[in-house]
Amino acid sequence: MTLRVLTWNYLIIAPHVLLIVLLVALVRSRTYRQFPAFVAYVASEILQFVVLYPILTLPSVFPPALYAVAYSIGTGLSIGLRLLVLYEVTAYLFRNHELLRRVGGQLFRCMALALLLSALGLAAYTGGMSFHRLLSTLNLLDRTASILQCGLLVGLFSFSSYFGISWRSHAFGIALGLGIFASVELANSSIRTHVGYAYNMYLNYLTMVVYHACVLIWIIYLWAPERSSQYALKTLPEHNLEDWNQELQRLIQRG
Amino acid sequence: MIVVLALVVLAALALVFMFRVARGHAKPADPQRLSQAIRAVDVEAFRNLIDPAEEDFLRKSLAPAQYRAVQRQRLRAAVEYVSCAAQNAAILVAVGDAARRSPDPTIAAAGEKLVDSAVRLRLYAFQAKGKLYIGILLPGTRISPSALVENYERMTGLVFQLSRLEYAARTGASSV
Repeated sequence: MTLRVLTWNYLIIAPHVLLIVLLVALVRSRTYRQFPAFVAYVASEILQFVVLYPILTLPSVFPPALYAVAYSIGTGLSIGLRLLVLYEVTAYLFRNHELLRRVGGQLFRCMALALLLSALGLAAYTGGMSFHRLLSTLNLLDRTASILQCGLLVGLFSFSSYFGISWRSHAFGIALGLGIFASVELANSSIRTHVGYAYNMYLNYLTMVVYHACVLIWIIYLWAPERSSQYALKTLPEHNLEDWNQELQRLIQRG
Repeated sequence: MIVVLALVVLAALALVFMFRVARGHAKPADPQRLSQAIRAVDVEAFRNLIDPAEEDFLRKSLAPAQYRAVQRQRLRAAVEYVSCAAQNAAILVAVGDAARRSPDPTIAAAGEKLVDSAVRLRLYAFQAKGKLYIGILLPGTRISPSALVENYERMTGLVFQLSRLEYAARTGASSV
């Protein structure tokens, strides 16, 4: 067995073995109560591996067309679940802030619509190489979803950074892993839409390496217990926030 | 090709941004030390800078070009005040967040209220700065959200009237 074959098999199998470890950690720590969509996503990825790996490695038993169809269905399911996880993380982050939930909700709906329209417009404008209709469509769908996910995650990080919302470790780890994967997939699917089958092997390796790294990020953040504040506060500083809020509100509403 | 390059560059920038956020998340600051960075900002002085009566007085007393220059200076100063207040609010969000997790219920409740006020200020500061920057670009222009709503309602009312007139004209023409 050559090094290339070993590496290939390692990169396919190892992340999914680690996902099983992650799933066990999520169930044991009861994190599935806070992030059920993420748990569903992890379970779905494991299930896809169990179905797809035999189809891929036993071409004498399973026809190649079956892999293309099964892979397409799996990719569609993963994309849907990742968007649901993104929504779940956002809702979790703003659960204690009524004002931000309202403002953030409106802002993210507008952002999602704008990103979706841009991505669909781009898909219609650039199209894809007609190397294989199903794969080409899948690539465009992947790119569209990556634009949406990447854009929303950058928006979420920027929004929470501006308002100083503190992330709990688990939510942050999930969002970070998703964000890294979405960014790399965006670059990957954009290149693939342009070059078709050329460089396919290198792009596949890149996806697998990054996915492996993201699974490790999830394990690191989700295995560790939630970080509690290491600083104890005895008093709160003096402030005149209410005066400022009144003044600024008056300025905003003034004609 | 340009589209592909643009998307790859955007993806790379998004990745760099996320790593920076991750690095910031790994090093939480001591809220007690943070609160020492709070600067006192005089809200009375700010009120004076954005006072419409003061603005009207200047508009009547100065030549137009001079009024615009002075008004721009006042609004730039107002932006500085708002930025400073918003920076203080960012510190107070971190302080309030730490207080919220205190075992003492009084401190936890005060922390909750502090976070709410500070987040509100950050939101208002964002909107106020937008309005102030428009004022710097076009000194003397007044933009009111309620006026915008009124104008929009008037516009949609006119469109509705127009479509009714057109319909009446078409049905009247067809009956003739």
